[in-house]
Amino acid sequence: MTMMRKARLVIGIFAALATAQSWAAGLPAPTGLSVTPDPEDDEGTALILKWTAPESPPPAGFTLAGYAVEHRQDAPTPAVRLYEKLLGQKVPDPAKTEVAKFVKGTDKTETNVKNLDPWPSPMHYFSVSAVYLPEGAAWEVDEKANKLTTKGEQEAATPEVGPVQPVGKWYNPDRTNVAATAAIYTIVVILALIFARRRDMYIRPIAGLQAVDDAIGRATEMGKPLLFVSGLTGIGDVPTIAAMLILGHLARRAAPYETPILAPCNDPMVMSVTREIVRESYTEAGRPDAYQPENIYFVTDSQFGYVAAVDGLMLREKPAANFYMGYFFAESLILAETGNEAGAIQIAGTDADTQLPFFITSCDYTLMGEELYAAGAYLSRDPVLLAQLKGQDIGKAIIGLMLIVSTAIASIAIFHSGVVPRFVEWFNTK
Amino acid sequence: MRVHVPIAICFLAGLFMLVQFFVPHHLGVVYYEELQAWTRIVIAFTMVLGISSLIRTHWEKIRRRRQDWGYSVVTLVSFIAMVTIGAARGSEKGSPFMWAFDSVFNPLDATMFSLLAFFMASAAYRTFRARTPEATVLLLTAVIVMLGRVPLGDMMVQHGAYGIWAGLLFLCIAWAAFPWCAARFGRGTAWALGVALMLVPVALLVVSAHLRGMPISGATEWIMNTPAVGAKRGILFGVALGSIATSLRIIFGIERSHLGGH
Repeated sequence: MTMMRKARLVIGIFAALATAQSWAAGLPAPTGLSVTPDPEDDEGTALILKWTAPESPPPAGFTLAGYAVEHRQDAPTPAVRLYEKLLGQKVPDPAKTEVAKFVKGTDKTETNVKNLDPWPSPMHYFSVSAVYLPEGAAWEVDEKANKLTTKGEQEAATPEVGPVQPVGKWYNPDRTNVAATAAIYTIVVILALIFARRRDMYIRPIAGLQAVDDAIGRATEMGKPLLFVSGLTGIGDVPTIAAMLILGHLARRAAPYETPILAPCNDPMVMSVTREIVRESYTEAGRPDAYQPENIYFVTDSQFGYVAAVDGLMLREKPAANFYMGYFFAESLILAETGNEAGAIQIAGTDADTQLPFFITSCDYTLMGEELYAAGAYLSRDPVLLAQLKGQDIGKAIIGLMLIVSTAIASIAIFHSGVVPRFVEWFNTK
Repeated sequence: MRVHVPIAICFLAGLFMLVQFFVPHHLGVVYYEELQAWTRIVIAFTMVLGISSLIRTHWEKIRRRRQDWGYSVVTLVSFIAMVTIGAARGSEKGSPFMWAFDSVFNPLDATMFSLLAFFMASAAYRTFRARTPEATVLLLTAVIVMLGRVPLGDMMVQHGAYGIWAGLLFLCIAWAAFPWCAARFGRGTAWALGVALMLVPVALLVVSAHLRGMPISGATEWIMNTPAVGAKRGILFGVALGSIATSLRIIFGIERSHLGGH
């Protein structure tokens, strides 16, 4: 017999003795304990316990003051232990019965137990004890120790119920609208991709991107560098990735003329990727010798410290063209106005709607919102990317149509109750 | 191998994040938090890259005595001083590190931020010139919004006397600016600008009467909450779709720029 089994046997004997003791003392125990999954528990960490109050009255000198919910769980299997260790979770003590919670008063015979170890952790077992206090004694619980401190208390427990396990939900039905929209959009993009292979697609000219070549030409003629700022977010953010695409194109066009690209970065990861992209672009352009890694460097991750450094760079080096691509915060206007003062051609692109007015004010060209994402397709003319761009346009048309239909339906919903409001409600994201 | 393994990791991580959004189960939450923790650890490691780049860049500048190399000395000395103080005495409240942070770094940071006010003024001056019909609409909207954000705006529409005073103020501005405008844009444009300026308080009074006593701040709120939000949402729709398309490209390995290639 293993140590674990021995421990379980000993605990079982003790539990039986304790129950026998309470029965011997003549204390009536609750009956009909049932444990069911909590229907409102999405995570799968809660259970609901229901029981029936003791049928017999308490013995003389005692009053029924409340209930104590006791809980234990199986010792985890080696696989679960490994899983929990990998996730850095605490491995529970095997087969140790502890009070999960106290329920004060006799009117409540139902409670829920939260924060239980969910699947695939071991099974749970519960019992409920009726807590009897000497007449006149107050209900005192030490919250920290989770212990009843009233002296002279007696308990009578139900037989243990188990094994049970919280269920949880594997799908959130409140997000069906998001799933449906995402599925429709994905289908639209795939269809656009199929059509893109059959015929050429028209992409409207984007002034900001057409000006990129002019800016490079100006810098080459003046013998001055280009400045590229890739926003203040990390490489994990979509606007930064979109900015990297534009940088790649810029580097490929600038490489044959040996026009230096200055790229101060505020994120070390972005710096590494920027270096790699510029190096590869120079190699592709047949000028790996012209690549200068020292022009791409980390400054600081402090927002205004970075702005101070870039402003200083603009005023000292006087770049011929400044590119601000990515996600920006309050620093956008400080950067763009300083660049304007330094006399550079400025092209900005951001999806930060709060910063767009500042860039429009201070820059010569601004890529607004989605134009930043369209830049990759526009510059590369790759059919896959162009198809996605068309997919975006069709997606916008669908959204526009849905807005008109939804507005009409929402207006009707003011006067009609029933199906229409539920239809409108379906569009709300939760 | 150098490309395929990162793409596979990216695909799996992206797919997990996508699925996790629809799974409320505890396992989904735990793994999501775990991935977030890994991200923080990776970011911590990249700081080593950043610091080495910082030291190398500025050291090279000093070594080669490049233009303004003195600033690099200040940067490196400050960096080493902060690291040494922080390592030796800790960074708790009241420590020398926090003193330097609160007394040097924070004021410098605030100074840079405060520059925004001046840049905003210079940008507004350049933008709000009524050269085209669109710019004129922008100018008038901006005037209403700006007046709505200060007590003077409501005073003007609520009390006729203040309106007259404001009208006189605008007249003085027009009088003072007329010669400069005439020299720069010609007499015709200067007159048009002067009349437009004078029409602002009149327009405000008319609008306020039309809105049945609604103060100018109410008109401002309406502009900010109705047309501005409409335009903003239009942009956000495009951004959301663009963002989803780019994310799909990354998840399926079509977009590889974040791996250092294209």
